[in-house]
Amino acid sequence: MIEVLGLRVVLPPTTVALDGVDLAIRAGEFVVILGPSGAGKTTFLRTLNRLVEPTAGTVRVAGRRVTGASPAELRAVRRQVGVIFQQFNLVRRLCAVDNVLTGRLGYVAPLASVIGRFPERDRALARDCLGQVGLGHLADRRADTLSGGEQQRVAIARTLAQSPAVILADEPTASLDPALTDSIMETLRRINVERGLTLVVSQHQLPTALAYATRIVGFRRGRVVFDGPPSAVTPPVVESIYGAGATP
Amino acid sequence: MRRAVTFVALAALAWAAWDTGADPIRLVRGLPWLLDFVRRMLPPDLGVLPSALAGAVTTVEIALLGTAAAAILALPLGFLSARNVAAPPVFYPARAALNFFRSVDTLVYALVFVAAVGLGPFPGVLAVVAYTTTSLAKLYSEAIEGIERGPVDAITATGATRLQILRYGVLPQVLPLFLSYVLYRLETNIRAATVLGFVGAGGIGFYLQTYLRMIDYPAASTVLLVTVLMVMAVDFVSSRLRDRLL
Repeated sequence: MIEVLGLRVVLPPTTVALDGVDLAIRAGEFVVILGPSGAGKTTFLRTLNRLVEPTAGTVRVAGRRVTGASPAELRAVRRQVGVIFQQFNLVRRLCAVDNVLTGRLGYVAPLASVIGRFPERDRALARDCLGQVGLGHLADRRADTLSGGEQQRVAIARTLAQSPAVILADEPTASLDPALTDSIMETLRRINVERGLTLVVSQHQLPTALAYATRIVGFRRGRVVFDGPPSAVTPPVVESIYGAGATP
Repeated sequence: MRRAVTFVALAALAWAAWDTGADPIRLVRGLPWLLDFVRRMLPPDLGVLPSALAGAVTTVEIALLGTAAAAILALPLGFLSARNVAAPPVFYPARAALNFFRSVDTLVYALVFVAAVGLGPFPGVLAVVAYTTTSLAKLYSEAIEGIERGPVDAITATGATRLQILRYGVLPQVLPLFLSYVLYRLETNIRAATVLGFVGAGGIGFYLQTYLRMIDYPAASTVLLVTVLMVMAVDFVSSRLRDRLL
């Protein structure tokens, strides 16, 4: 589903964020990316749909090329990749359901959508997605009046409205009350199991990562230093990811 | 260094005072004439109130129409001259053009447009549009440069086109600011429009200038009073609206 070869990202002027990453992720996997801050987790996720431009290497998602894609091809492949951000990144002044509706932008007629016209079936789909994350009753509330947990659910509904093949989530629970971590991760697992979507999630909490992942990938200094099932994550592995004596 | 700057600044001011003939004694000597001027303006001649009010209405119309047209014309220009939206080959010429046209005042534009389309309120409207478009475009572009990156990333990630990203990622963030800038410009344009009549571009300024030339000071003072009340009224309404926006 995701094929990454020789991925290198140098952020100006000379920061090497990713230093030769090779990774293949199969359809239906729930991959959790572990690593200390600055290890390249966010950069890796953002390169998968070219929100960050790679310096070298190739990325393919759902059988389409991401690197080397024309603008139109890139938009087509981005539709297939839902993204959930640490800071939710909703459009504050839009209501919840309209935020979810923006997930349809890659599918609807561009000019009609610019003047706010969306086909009725897309609107229905947006309401349906909001219901699936348990927020149907808050459809008309402005995004900035919702709690953090609710905002992240709206963001999840927005990616569902994209009908994606892959969902990338960059520290989806890091900005939330710890008590909400499990409900958000549980929602992601349900999407993974029920819809068969591929999930790639970065997490800094080790127990959470081990509880939800089908596969763990450890990053350190821009390289993959571990790749295996949660059961193989032993104390030496943790040390190899986070460094000696460090507690994640 | 600091002393040198202070010295140069003081020297420049002193030279400017000498060159402009700035002389407090002359002001004091002139004070009786000032008082005489004020005395001759009183009481205001309320007989000219209808024409003063008609001029005020025209002035408000010039400012409203000119500001509204400029608010819309400035939109594309604002996006084209925002560093985080436009590509450098577009951004730099757009910025340069804005700075060039913005350095000309509304009154100067009015002179040009009176020459082009003749006397009356219409060249006044054009003058307001010309100046306000560029000044609003500059304010718009600065608002656009100050937006949060996050929602733009999120909309980009849905596979949206550039135009859709502007509409859903950028515009909702800047629209309240834009509206507030437009209202602020409306307030300043009302003031600018009061003198457009001096150069034949319509509105209340025409009456003020006419009565001053005719040395009909009571009539001129009525026009001045109406001007002050008009400006205050527009400021009041506009600032109320702006408070609601932010």
